[in-house]
Amino acid sequence: MSVELRSINKVFGHLAAVYETSFKVETGELVALLGPSGSGKTTLLRIIAGLEFADSGSVLFNGREVTNDSAYKRRAGFVFQQYALFNHMSVFENIAFGLRVLPRRQRPSSGEIRTRVSELLEAVQLSGYEKRLPMQLSGGQRQRVAFARALAIRPQVLLLDEPFGALDAKVRKDLRRWLREFHDQTHLTTLFVTHDQDEAFEVADRVVIINQGKVQQIGTPDEVRMNPGNDFVIDFLDLQLAASAP
Amino acid sequence: MAGVTTALPVRAVTRPARRATTESALVRWTLIAIVVAFFGIFLFLPLVVVFQEAFSKGVAAYFNAFQNKATQHAIWLTLLVSAITVPLNTLFGMAAAWAITRFNFRGKSLLTSLIDLPLWVSPVIGGLIYVLLYGRQGWLGPWLAEHDIRIIFAVPGIVLATTFVTFPFVARTLVPLMQAQGQAEEEAAATLGANGFQIFIRITLPKIKWGLLYGVILCNARAMGEFGAVSVVSGHIRNRTNTMPLNVEILYNEYEFAPAFAVASLLALLALLTLFLKTFAEWQAARQLNTTTTTQ
Repeated sequence: MSVELRSINKVFGHLAAVYETSFKVETGELVALLGPSGSGKTTLLRIIAGLEFADSGSVLFNGREVTNDSAYKRRAGFVFQQYALFNHMSVFENIAFGLRVLPRRQRPSSGEIRTRVSELLEAVQLSGYEKRLPMQLSGGQRQRVAFARALAIRPQVLLLDEPFGALDAKVRKDLRRWLREFHDQTHLTTLFVTHDQDEAFEVADRVVIINQGKVQQIGTPDEVRMNPGNDFVIDFLDLQLAASAP
Repeated sequence: MAGVTTALPVRAVTRPARRATTESALVRWTLIAIVVAFFGIFLFLPLVVVFQEAFSKGVAAYFNAFQNKATQHAIWLTLLVSAITVPLNTLFGMAAAWAITRFNFRGKSLLTSLIDLPLWVSPVIGGLIYVLLYGRQGWLGPWLAEHDIRIIFAVPGIVLATTFVTFPFVARTLVPLMQAQGQAEEEAAATLGANGFQIFIRITLPKIKWGLLYGVILCNARAMGEFGAVSVVSGHIRNRTNTMPLNVEILYNEYEFAPAFAVASLLALLALLTLFLKTFAEWQAARQLNTTTTTQ
């Protein structure tokens, strides 16, 4: 499913979080929203999911207007920065949640739910953790449960808010690779927010660079690196290149 | 004049130094002694007196006090009033806490302080406003009389006054809890396709259940024990509008000391039970808040 934003504006108090932002993520693409913290990238992601509503502009899923639909109608798979797992539920129930709240006619039987949950647990390499509570898991394991939970409802788009932000470097690298492989297998339209350019360039097909609520440049990692669009992009990338140089 | 100005700095210098060294065993034990004495005089002794007086004529007389028709009716009325007001205020408290913690709207801080209103206003005033509104000489009095509806000096008035006095409790316990917990889990549930009702039942309610129970217990204790507001609207009609606390007063005024204290002991037992349940709920709520915040 493609996701399109058309001249989105969003103001919090006096602060313009998002300003006249338009871009389109094509079906099957893996796109990174890259920018410093406070640049409005998380707000954009939340506007796409329906957790936040734009002051003006429109959101289109597959060309269909969803601007005024609430989050539960859009059913975008969303992975939160701090995971937002349901702490009072087991891993199994967390993942099964999206299936259990379906209207009765669409709801799978409990046998089907069990099958689906174990498939997902296998996909995120957590088989055997069904009965654990979120508290009893490590950060990386929680992250993977959050993935599995978002995927359980077979979303048409996957939205990830700083998916690796809270993890240590080693786990982060593994999960990055895992995400790329997962995307290559499923071709699920995916949009993820990050402030880490290495992460964006390594994983994404295309990168949307954002600063102060405005899109600075859109392109493949190579395009952006070869032809940085403006001073901000040069500055933002150079700073990090210098920092990561040996 | 000169003496005063020179004396001041000296005092200012020496005092903190002495305080820092002497704030040890002596201060600590004094403070503890004050607290213990306070609890003893204001809480423990009265409790002992209530039970001592209640049993002063023997165990049989104690239980005999509850054979009295008027007393039985008072107990029944108290149970009825709290059975109506507590669910009502539980609903109201949840709605208010939800609105305050989940939405931003104009007049939100006004609403937040209005919820506390019954705590600052004397309960007698709380009762009086209903007399002024619904009493025979009140604003709505003539209309009510025309339609033969009795509110003041009848059960509806007692329910209204009790509701007024007890409505802050649930909202006040839930608002800080729900603020601390945030709404990330609710948002996650929404993206997974859960509607508002499903989110409330499956996510919010389990998260707040202990805090909610705590508020309900406090609300119930106050509803059963309220004297002032109820006294104003009740009219003290025996077998019709007397609640337990009013019944205690009437018995006492009629020199029926043992029965008065027997009924009072029932209220005291309720208070002890409340204290126990409250402590338990508080402990569970703290535990739950810890588990939600450590994993966030």
